[in-house]
Formats: sequence, structure tokens, C-alpha cells
Amino acid sequence: MKPGTKLKSTVCNTEVMVIKGSGLVVECGGAPMTAEGAADKGAINPDFAGGTLMGKRYVNEEGTVELLCVKAGEGALAIDGKVLPTKDAKPLPSSD
Amino acid sequence: MAQVMKGVRVLEVAQFTFVPAAGAILADWGADVIKIEHPVRGDTQRGFIKLGGIETDPNRCPFVEHPNRGKRSVGVDISTPEGMEVIYELAKTADVFLTNYLPNQRQKMKFDIEHIRAVNPNIIYARGSAFGDKGPDRDVGGFDGTAFWNRGGLADAFSPKELGGPISQGVPAFGDSIGGMNIAGGIAAALFHRAQTGEATELDVSLLSTAWWAAGTSIDMGIETNQIMGNRMPQSGGNPGNPLMGNYYCADGGVINMCTLTPGPHIKSFFQHIGKPELADDERFSEVKALMQNWEAASEIIVAAFAEKDFKYWREHLKTYSGQWAPVQSLLDIATDEQALANDMLFEVESASGGDPIKLVRGPVQFNHEPVKTERAPLASEHTELVLMELGMEWDKIEELKEKGAIA
Repeated sequence: MKPGTKLKSTVCNTEVMVIKGSGLVVECGGAPMTAEGAADKGAINPDFAGGTLMGKRYVNEEGTVELLCVKAGEGALAIDGKVLPTKDAKPLPSSD
Repeated sequence: MAQVMKGVRVLEVAQFTFVPAAGAILADWGADVIKIEHPVRGDTQRGFIKLGGIETDPNRCPFVEHPNRGKRSVGVDISTPEGMEVIYELAKTADVFLTNYLPNQRQKMKFDIEHIRAVNPNIIYARGSAFGDKGPDRDVGGFDGTAFWNRGGLADAFSPKELGGPISQGVPAFGDSIGGMNIAGGIAAALFHRAQTGEATELDVSLLSTAWWAAGTSIDMGIETNQIMGNRMPQSGGNPGNPLMGNYYCADGGVINMCTLTPGPHIKSFFQHIGKPELADDERFSEVKALMQNWEAASEIIVAAFAEKDFKYWREHLKTYSGQWAPVQSLLDIATDEQALANDMLFEVESASGGDPIKLVRGPVQFNHEPVKTERAPLASEHTELVLMELGMEWDKIEELKEKGAIA
């Protein structure tokens, strides 16, 4: 993986753009993602079936990885078997 | 819907509903709207934990969708010089610059009209403000609750004096949404003028000007006559001087609003519909001048007639009445109003967090009888890299700007 490049899932339709991080293996649906994806998609590991959502950014706890989902799918993103949470805006609380 | 704004790019540096709503309308019409958001917090609009007294769900925010559907979001810290360079790069490619930042902020961060025109002399510069870009309060911020509803004179006009105080706006972003449409209309005219003459204009819409325009008939009449129209306390009965104007209460508490401003031609149809056809021949009511003079007697009879049947009955029964009237509906009732739905008033966008689509109200203008087709509102900073790469920015540069915290 390298920033500015895309990775495709080999088990679902998920595609991400690597925003941050390099030299790590990103998994989707339990299988490593590749630049080309796969013509014949494998099966999703049920432990990694949470799905991806387009436009969401996925990060690791250390803050060294950020992936932007550009195509949604059924697999969940993970590194070393750890599912990546989404990065969300931290708005200032308001109320009318 | 016909993409009448296709090919127009709008750069929006704005928050909340009023000015972003203008961008949303232009996006509905086919414009490419790039919304600039704070890299960490996003638009402050995203932070509402309660709106109109209702708790919000951070994963499903119709109040973010309403003023932002169809846009792309780029995260830029406009308080940094590097961030402002990104704004200038984007401004070079835009037809319209849209902002609600205050004059002193525009000056301090250097995106006032002279700074933006320095990089793009042909850009249309559109400002939305609370009180206008001239005068002693040009640097004062505000919301529709302040500038539109209260200072704008509406709270006073809507509130019967007997209440003992003004009612609140009651509908979140009410003045904002009207005002946003005003800005969109102004931008459309400015784009036409530029296409015709080559001249780029600047334009202003304020929440105060929005209230003044909306209340213009009453303000102009007030100045002319030195009297101001106001609301009476709610009651079942006709308006003084015209019993075919006013609210009438049904047996079950539902309310029918009669609004027949010119009652003469409708006297016969009206009395037939309330089950008193003989009154159309009664000399107190048979002719318009007599009816207006005897409005109190007529009102009394009509009040009693409406109280005999329920809302559903009247709603159906009055459909054949020749004059003007309306059922009093709630904003939830209106979502199932067949007439509104027949005119495509609602459309759907997908929810960014999955689940059911989110239903949204379309803008008031429809082209070619076609429904709105657009995308959901962006997540904060969703499109930063994609837009900057489209602009031709190298990845190394994007990374460098990120490290400095200028973008996200």
C-alpha cells in the first residue's frame, strides 16, 4: 500500500483510496486487498462482514493509517485482524 | 430534473443553513458545488445535538442534508495561509464564490472580494449576512431567529397582543431556507448577466432583507397608513368585515381555514356547502356588501355549522366549494399530502451510514415537471483528496498540506 493509490477487495466490491500509511497489508472481508482486486471473488469471512460505506474514512488506533472508501462493499476493513473504525468529524455541540 | 446549472462551479465557504441552502439549491439545479469545511469540526451545523427540541441522531441528519445535498466537501483550515492558498486555487476554477463569513473575518483571512477577484476577476461574489453588508451592523452576526424573525418584525406581527409576548420562530431554519432561495435566485440572475455582458457582479442577501421582503406588503402598508397589521387570538369565527375569511373549528378539533378574499361570487356555493342554502337568499347575506356588514351574524351561523361535523368531513365536502379554503395541516400531515407528493415535493437520498434512505424536501422551483435527482450531503472533508487531485495537485503536495494541518 502507498498513499494516493487505490486498493480493491478480493471478496466484495469495496474499493479504498490510501490516504495515509504504507508497507502494511490491508484486509477486506478477511482477505488481503490488492491493487487489481479479483475477477473471481472469494468468500467473506463472517467475522469481517460489517461492510464498508462510501465516503467514510477508516483509520487505525495508532493514527498511522487512513483509508477513504470510494466504493462500498460487504466486507469490513482490517489490519492484522483488527477491524478499522471510522474517522468522524468532531463538531462543536449546538442546540436551538 | 433539467440540470440548468450544469457547468457552473460554486465554491462555498459557509456554515449553518442560510447560505449553504443556496448552494444546495444550485446543486439540485446541476451546479458543481464545493463546500469548504473545517478539517476537524466540519460545518458547525453538524454539531446540533438538539434541533427544535428534538434529539438528533449523529448518523442520520436531515438538517445537514437539507442545506448540503449534492455537494462535495473539502476540508480546509482557512485560518492558515496554506489553507487559503488552496481556496485561491479552487476559486480560480469557480464561477461563484459563496460565503456567510463576517467582513472582519473575510479581511483577516484574506478571502474578501478583492482577494478572490485578484485570482479570478470574473467570479461572482455572493454574500449572505444577518443584517446586510453596509451600515453599522455589517460586522454583527446573527441567525434567522435574531435577524429574520425578531429584529425583522415577524415575531411581533405573528403574535396576538393578548398573548403577552412574542411567539418564537417555531420552525428551525425557516428564515434561513427562504433566504437561501433568495441567494440562489440572485446568483442565477448574476450568472445570466455575466453571460450576457461579461460583467461579474457581487451580491448580498441578508436575513433581515429576507424578512423585509417576505413582510413587504405589511411594512409598506404600515408606513403608508401608520398602522400595523397583526394577528388576532386564535378562535373559531370570521374576520371582521368578511365572514368567509377566518378559521372555523370542526367537531373533532380540526380546523378549516376559509380564505375567500372576494366573497361575492361564492356566497351561493358557500352556504350550500355548509348546509344552509336558504341563507344565500337571506337579505342579510345574499349580496356582498350586506354580507360584509352583517359579518358577525354570518360568522355565528358558520361557527355552529362547522362544529357539527368532523375535520375529515369538511376536508372532503369542501372540495367542490367554488371559493378558497384550506385544511389546517401539521408539517407531518403535509408529508402525506397527495397534492404535494404529486408535485414531487419529496425525494430520497441514501444515508451515508446505511439504513433506510432519508426523505428530503425539494426546492420550490421545478424544471420540466421533473423530480430532483441528486446525491446525499457529503461527510465532512469527504472529497478533499479527490477534488485536489482533480485540480492537478500532486500527492506530495497534498501530504505536505496535511502535515501542516491546512487540509484534511
